[in-house]
Amino acid sequence: MATDAVVHLIDDDEGVRQAVAFLLTTSGFAVRVYESAVAFLDALPSVQPGCVVTDVRMPGMDGLALQRELKARDIGLPVIVITGHGDVPLAVEAMKAGAVDFIEKPFNDDALLSAIRVAIARHGRDARRGDEIAAIKGKLDSLSPREREVLDGLVAGLPNKTIAYDLKISARTVEVHRANLMTRMGATSVADLVRMVFVVRSPI
Amino acid sequence: MLNGTDQPQEAPPGSGDGLLRALEAAETGVWHWDLTTGTIDLSLRAAWLLGCSGGQSLDYGDFVALIHADDRADAEKALRDSIAAMAPFDFVMRTSRQERRLRLRGQVSRDAGVPTEVSGIIIESVRRSMAEEMNSRLAAIVASSDDAIIGKSLEGIVTDWNGGAEAIFGYTAAEIIGKPLSILLPPGQEDEMVRMLDRIRAGERIDHYETRRRRKDGRIIDVSLTISPIWDSTGRLLGASKVARDVTAARRGQIELEVREAYLRSVLETIPDAVILIDDAGIMRSFSAAAERLFGFVAQEAIGQNVTMLMPSPYREQHDAYLARYFATGQKRVIGRGRVVTGMRKDGSTFPMELAVGEMLVNNRHSFTGFVRDLTERQQTQRRLQDLQSELIHMSRFTAMGEMASTLAHELNQPLTAVASYLNGCRRLLEGTESVNALMLRDAIDRAADQALRAGQIIRRMRLFVARGESERQVENLTKLIEESSALALVGVREAGVRVDFDFDPRANFVLADKIQIQQVLLNLIRNAIEAMHDMPRRQLTISTAEQPDGMVEVCVSDTGPGIAPEVAPQLFQPFVTTKPHGMGVGLSISRTIIEAHGGRLWVAPNAGGGTIFGLTLRALSKEELSDGN
Repeated sequence: MATDAVVHLIDDDEGVRQAVAFLLTTSGFAVRVYESAVAFLDALPSVQPGCVVTDVRMPGMDGLALQRELKARDIGLPVIVITGHGDVPLAVEAMKAGAVDFIEKPFNDDALLSAIRVAIARHGRDARRGDEIAAIKGKLDSLSPREREVLDGLVAGLPNKTIAYDLKISARTVEVHRANLMTRMGATSVADLVRMVFVVRSPI
Repeated sequence: MLNGTDQPQEAPPGSGDGLLRALEAAETGVWHWDLTTGTIDLSLRAAWLLGCSGGQSLDYGDFVALIHADDRADAEKALRDSIAAMAPFDFVMRTSRQERRLRLRGQVSRDAGVPTEVSGIIIESVRRSMAEEMNSRLAAIVASSDDAIIGKSLEGIVTDWNGGAEAIFGYTAAEIIGKPLSILLPPGQEDEMVRMLDRIRAGERIDHYETRRRRKDGRIIDVSLTISPIWDSTGRLLGASKVARDVTAARRGQIELEVREAYLRSVLETIPDAVILIDDAGIMRSFSAAAERLFGFVAQEAIGQNVTMLMPSPYREQHDAYLARYFATGQKRVIGRGRVVTGMRKDGSTFPMELAVGEMLVNNRHSFTGFVRDLTERQQTQRRLQDLQSELIHMSRFTAMGEMASTLAHELNQPLTAVASYLNGCRRLLEGTESVNALMLRDAIDRAADQALRAGQIIRRMRLFVARGESERQVENLTKLIEESSALALVGVREAGVRVDFDFDPRANFVLADKIQIQQVLLNLIRNAIEAMHDMPRRQLTISTAEQPDGMVEVCVSDTGPGIAPEVAPQLFQPFVTTKPHGMGVGLSISRTIIEAHGGRLWVAPNAGGGTIFGLTLRALSKEELSDGN
């Protein structure tokens, strides 16, 4: 699994940094750790290619701002966002800003590792990612048209009431649809749901 | 008129037996005084009336002796005057013996200009004398009256003029009797008396006619006139009596009273409080326009009714007893101090009202003025504010809990992430090692990692549960939202010397937001700003809104405080970080949670003129969304 690609891990929590670095190292990745987004940007000129794994809420520049900054500097490093705050708006924003993945802490090692593999493979789609996309597409196809509409609303970050209004149904009905589609999609949270939809919508 | 001299002349005695008998039958005595002989002859009736026992022929001295001593001088003078003036006489005298009142009338005959004889009649004067007494009493009343009492002929010539008339008009009786009364008319009213005389001639009476007259000194006075025609006993119209009263002072007083009343009325009509006046029996005597509006009764319906009609039971039944109790004991319950009671409208609905009662004592009778203020709106406002406050308290607790859950999630998720990562790393290190121990170890590590993930799931579910209330977002008017929260936050602030300016962008009007939460954030930011400026010479708070190009609305709360210390700035939004001596350090942290949950941002920037700007964004609603949404 060893490549010359480097995983750039940014987290203000030292315990997390060391632990995730340990996991990644034992999984065969080269890892460099940074205690802040600014520290990473400072080291940017000498940074080796690979991918970025960043926390969101950090003092100084947060993870989303870092994403924007990288985009602004035209740095093509793929970014994986990990966060202890799995909010829908945050997930939407992160995915819209071009994150390869959005992973809630604490995470299953497979989730992070596969995301990193996809990221490092860059434009290529490896078999695993292809499988995942196919699986998500299959689940999406199983949704009723109404559930699909509710899903679109959720992914757009709209509250239940707004979705209900737009679809001219009751907020209660929206909640029912929402619960059903979460089950069908096998999503652990709405943030996870957002991630799935974005993975399908904008493959790397 | 009774002593007038224009009555038909009586026939002299001795002009015929028949006539004499007729006079006897009429109980009328006849007497004849021959001035040449001095003999006075009396008819039988005359002698009887005079109480003369010495026969029917007597000399002047005997005749005079028959007259009551007190009347003797007057009687002799009347006779002397009559002879001297060659005029008829008519006088009343008492007899010396039987105290009979007699009327003597007669006239003097003459021959070649020399008086020769006096002849006349004597009648008993009981009735006539009563009329005369009454007459003199009336004359005394007339003379002493303060009112002007004037007699005038049908031509308007003054015939009688009393002291009152002199006092009022300034003319003496001597000056004006015989002159036309029209000299009293002020300029421009000259034809008034003609019209009045026409009415008098038609037999009409004029009552309390208010007009103006001119005094002798030229002063114009207000008078009230009552004019009655005067008829004689045969129904002939003789003239008119006129009673005039000077009402100048009364009129002025009345005008003042009217002005004061109009003033009072306008005050009562304009003050927002309903004003109701009741008497000592609880009967309403006055009911203001505001009272009409408040209670739904018009004044005519209320006045004259018991004030209890404005009260619901049980007060309705008790009010009369309250009044009685007050009159009996003098103990005041409502008078002089305001009280909140319940009123009842005409339609039977009740409402809270503040009642203040004032007491008046006029002519020894109590009356009470009630000032009534409708508290419905005030209580509603208070209730609304209370609701809002309790909602805010609830929400801030709720959000504090949410914030705690969020903080817990983050703080716990970090070590859990570390634990799970280490365990997974260890499991990978053990891969390829095939000993039994290694297999058991791998299995145990797997399970431990799963438990770490399960802990993360528990935290996530707890957060979702707490955060469930956060999705109650509605279309809110941002300007109104800011005004309401600043009204709450700025209580007592103007007194603290803080100047507050608002700068609202009319395009940034509608947002999709949880009103209570955003209010909580604004309240927090405004209070922070005010506290920050506490020791500053210049205290200027500015709250502004601006439309942003990306479909957001920006709200800025700027102060002229000391600004944020550089060492605090990076952690400003961390929970439990505070610059206040007694702060908890959760306000900004909570605020950011709320704003981020709304899809907006909360940030801090230095104010160009010194101080701090806290800015936040909220999702704006476009016109299309609004029209769709409505």
